[in-house]
Amino acid sequence: MSARRHAAAVARAALAVAAAAVVAAPVVRAQDPLAAVRADEARRVALVARCAPAVCAVMAMDEPGGGSGVVFDARGYVLTNYHVVGEPDPKWQPPQPPALPDTDLQAFRAQHPAADDAAVAAFTARWQDEWRREHAPRGRRHYRNKKVGLPDGELYEAVVLGIDPGSDLAVLRLLPKHAGQTWPHRPLGDSDAVRAGQPALAMGNPFVLATDFAPTVTFGVVSGVHRYQEGQGNRMLVYPDCIQVDAPVNPGNSGGPLFDERGDVIGINGRIAVGDRGRVNVGVGFAIASNQIRNFLGDLMAGRHAEHGTLDLSAWRAGQDRQQADPTLRGVYVQQIFKDAVAAAAGIGLGDELVRCDGLALRSPNELARQIGVLPAGAWVELAWRPRASEGFGALREAAVRLAALDTGSSRDGGGDDARLASADERRRARDAWLAQWPARDEPADAMVTWRVVAPEGFVVRALRHGERLRRDRGGFDWTDLGDARVDNGDGSDGSGFASDGNSPTMRDLTADERESLRRERACNPLLWPSTTVRARLAEALLLGGVHVLGAPALRFALPGDGGCEAWFFLDGTPAGCAFRDPVRKARVEWHVRGSAVRVVFDGKAQAGWRDSQRDVTAAEPALFGRPQ
Amino acid sequence: MSGSERTRAALLGCVLAAAANAAVAPQAPQAPAAAATPAPATQLERTIALRQPSVVKVFGASGLQTIRPYCAGVVVSAQGHILTLDQILLQPERTRVVLHDGSVHQATLLPPEPQLGVRLLQIDAAKVEGGLQPLWPERERFDRTGQFVVALGNCFRLAEFEEANSATFGVVVGRANTALRHRLADVAYDGDLILTDAAINPGQEGGGLFSLDGRWLGLNMKSLAAKETNTLLSAAIPVADLLPYLERVVRGQQAPEPVAVAKEPAWLGVVLFDKAGRQSPPAYVERVVAGSPAAALGLRADDLIVRLDDFSIRTCREYRDVLARFAAGAKVQLVWKRGQQVQQAQVTLGKEPAK
Repeated sequence: MSARRHAAAVARAALAVAAAAVVAAPVVRAQDPLAAVRADEARRVALVARCAPAVCAVMAMDEPGGGSGVVFDARGYVLTNYHVVGEPDPKWQPPQPPALPDTDLQAFRAQHPAADDAAVAAFTARWQDEWRREHAPRGRRHYRNKKVGLPDGELYEAVVLGIDPGSDLAVLRLLPKHAGQTWPHRPLGDSDAVRAGQPALAMGNPFVLATDFAPTVTFGVVSGVHRYQEGQGNRMLVYPDCIQVDAPVNPGNSGGPLFDERGDVIGINGRIAVGDRGRVNVGVGFAIASNQIRNFLGDLMAGRHAEHGTLDLSAWRAGQDRQQADPTLRGVYVQQIFKDAVAAAAGIGLGDELVRCDGLALRSPNELARQIGVLPAGAWVELAWRPRASEGFGALREAAVRLAALDTGSSRDGGGDDARLASADERRRARDAWLAQWPARDEPADAMVTWRVVAPEGFVVRALRHGERLRRDRGGFDWTDLGDARVDNGDGSDGSGFASDGNSPTMRDLTADERESLRRERACNPLLWPSTTVRARLAEALLLGGVHVLGAPALRFALPGDGGCEAWFFLDGTPAGCAFRDPVRKARVEWHVRGSAVRVVFDGKAQAGWRDSQRDVTAAEPALFGRPQ
Repeated sequence: MSGSERTRAALLGCVLAAAANAAVAPQAPQAPAAAATPAPATQLERTIALRQPSVVKVFGASGLQTIRPYCAGVVVSAQGHILTLDQILLQPERTRVVLHDGSVHQATLLPPEPQLGVRLLQIDAAKVEGGLQPLWPERERFDRTGQFVVALGNCFRLAEFEEANSATFGVVVGRANTALRHRLADVAYDGDLILTDAAINPGQEGGGLFSLDGRWLGLNMKSLAAKETNTLLSAAIPVADLLPYLERVVRGQQAPEPVAVAKEPAWLGVVLFDKAGRQSPPAYVERVVAGSPAAALGLRADDLIVRLDDFSIRTCREYRDVLARFAAGAKVQLVWKRGQQVQQAQVTLGKEPAK
C-alpha cells in the first residue's frame, strides 16, 4: 500500500512539474528528473505496441486450454513449446489429393485428342501421385492442425511442422487466408548478449485470458543467464541453457516470447520454478535461449523431429553433494560413461578429467551439460581431457567428437533423414523464407571464385570456378578440370574436361568417377558460387534440415539429382560447406567451413589437419582454364 | 503484490535510463573467468555484476524433507567471515561455501546470534584465489519506501558452482515490525524489517539486498508467509542493525554502549492469569497490586489486556515482551476489555517496589 501511495505521489509530482514546464524555460524541462521516466515509459509502450502483433495464442482445434507463440518470420512461421503442441494424432492420415482440376484435364485432352478413359485415368493417377509427393509429409506420426489467434483478432489454422522434444520447441506455419499473406513478426535476438539485470518483457496468453487474442504483457528483469535446468515432468524436457527472468510467467505463457528492450525475441518462455504453493508464479521463470533455438531451426522448419546431441557420459566435480571439499580436486571428472559412447570411442574413460569443451575451460558439470545440451546430434565438439593415471592424471589429449543422438524417449519415428520430414511444398516454402531473409549479395555472376584449403600434408588444395568451368589442383599439380559441355572452348578441350597426374605434361581425359565427383562438387559447394547466383542455384533445392558447422547453426539444402548433394549455408546466407557422395573417395564427403576454419568428414569420420580456408572472388582469368599448351 | 508491481512498472525508467548516470557509480567488476560475458550496460546490471562476488552459495545438511540444504551468505571480512541466516541446514562438518569463481570451501560455524537470527561462518581465506570481496554494513539504515532494490541469492539452488546467483528486482514497499508476530513468523530479529516486492525465494535467504547503486541494505530473510491468504512477503533484516554483532565478532570490538540512561523496567502492577505450557494464554488479569498504576487506573481481576500503545497483546507472553520495551515513567495508552466493553486510558508506568 505504501508503495502505491508513493506512486501516486510521484504521479502528482510529475503533473506539477509538467505544468511548470509549460511556462518555464525549456532548460527546466530538460532537468526534470521525471522526464526520463516518462520518456522511458513512452519507449516501453511503443515497444509493447511493436511486439504485441507478433504474439499469438496457440490452441488445439477442439480442446480447452492452450499456450502462446510468436511469429518469427513474415511468412507465418511460429515458435512455441513442444509441450503446447501436445501429442501426435493417432488417427492422422496423409492428405488425399483433390480431384484433377478441369484445366489440367482439358489441357491433357487438347494434347491427346484420342485419349480414351483408361488414358485419362492413368493421367489422373499420375497427377495425384505428383500431388502426394508434393503435399504429403514423410513419417507416420503427425499432428492435427492448431488454431492460432493473433492480436488482430483473426483466428488462423496452422500446420505443426517440426518438433524438438529435447528443448521443448515446435515450429508451426500459419495457413494464409489469401495468397502472399505476410504477418507481423519479431526476429530472434542474440541470447548470448543478455545480461543479468537487463529489462525483459514476457508476452503471451496466461490462464487463456485473452479471448480477443491480445497478449498479456509482464515486465521484469533478467535474473540469471545460462541456467541449466535438468529434465522435469513426464517428458523430461531439459532446459540446458535458459534465461531466468523475474517477470511473472504463468500457465498459458508457455511458448510465448521473452523480448529484450529492442523487441528481439531472446527466448521462449516455457517453464517456471514454483515454491510450496503449487503452480503459481514466484518470480522465477525460464526461457529457452534464442541462440539454442537457432541450432534447431533448420530441422524444425524442414519438418523434422530435431535430435539433441550427447556424449553419453555424466560428469562430477569435487565438492558436489556431500563430498568433502578438497581444493586440490577442482576439475570435472567422468562419473559414468557408456561403453559404446562416442566419447569412449575417442579414448575418454571413467575418472578422466575433462578440461575443455570447444575451447572453453570447464569449471563444473553443469557447464559441460549446458554446452552439449544446446547442440544437435551430429555436431562436432573439440574435447580436451587428461586420462586418469595411477598417480594423478596423464598428459592432455584432444579429439573432435561427433555427438550421438540423445534418446528423449518421445515420439520419434526412427533415425535417418527420412524419419520425419515436411512435404516438398513445405520445404520449398521454408527455403523461400530463408532466401527472403538473406541480404542482397554483390559478387557478379561472371566472376571467378578461387577457394584454397591447406591439406594435412601441407600443400594447398585449390578450386577455381568460372561459370560452369571448375578446375582443381593440389599444390599446383594433379589438375583436374571439368569442362563446360555447353561451350566450345576453342582450346582443344572437348568440353568434358581433362586431368594431369603429378607434374606430367601429358593430359588425359577425366575418368567417369572424376568427372562425376567434380560435377557434384560444382553442383553443391556454395563456396564456389558467386553470391549473386545463390538464389538461382537453389531454385530447385528443398530445405533438408539443420547442421552445426564449427560452432554455428547452418541449413542443409538438398539439390536435385544423384549423389546426395547438399549445399550448406549459415542462417545469414553465407556459405557453410557442402556434402555429397564422392565417387573418387568412395565416401560421403562433408566440407564444414566457417571463416578460415575447415573440418573435413569422410563417412562420418573427421579428417584431421585441414586448415586455412580462403575464398577469393576476382575477375575471370580464362588462361587458368583449359589444357595447358 | 499488484500495487507495487504497478509502481515498479511506472518507475522502472529511472533504473534503466536516468539512473544509469547516477552519481554513485560502482566500479565495473573484474572480468570473470568465463570468456564471453557481455559487459553490463545499465546501473542495475553494473550493481548486480559488482555485488555477485560478495554473495556466496551456502550448502549444508539436508535430512527432513522440509529442510532445503542450501541458502546464501554475504562475505563480511577478508579473513573469510560470511554472514547468513541461522538455519538448521548449518551443521558442523556439513557446511560448504561456494564462491563466485566456483571454488568450494569447508566452513566452520561461529556461535549463532539468537537475538538476531543470524550466524557467521568462516572459511579459510588463505585458500581463496584472488581474495575475497567483503562488504560491511553502513552505520545508519537508509532504506526508503519506493527505493529500487535488487536481491541476490541462490534461489531454488539454480546455481551450483561458478554459476551466478539469481538477481530479482523490485522496490522497498515499507517497514514492518515483527515483534507483534513473535513466534508466528520464523523471525528472531525484532526490529523493523525491510519489506520488498522483489521476489525472495527459497535459497535466496542469507543473500544480500542492495540499493540500485550497490549499497548493502539488508540480509534477505525467508519469506513471511500468511496462511490465511496464502501469500508470501519478501523481507530483509536491515544490516545496520547487525553492525554491533559484526563488530563484536568479526572485528573483535565491543559493541558501543547504548547512550541512553540506564533503563528501569516498567511496571503496571497486574498479575496475569498465566500458566506454564506451550501456548501462552490470553492476558487476563488475576489480581491487581494495591498502589500500582493499574490500581490507580481501576483495573481489576478478569479484565483482558488487549493493547499497549501500538502493540496488540494476545497472550501473557506478548504482554511481558511489550512491557519490556518501555521504561519506568513512560506514558502509554492501555486498552482492556471488561466483559463485552472495551475501555482505554493513559497510564504512567511505574517502577516495581523493592520486595
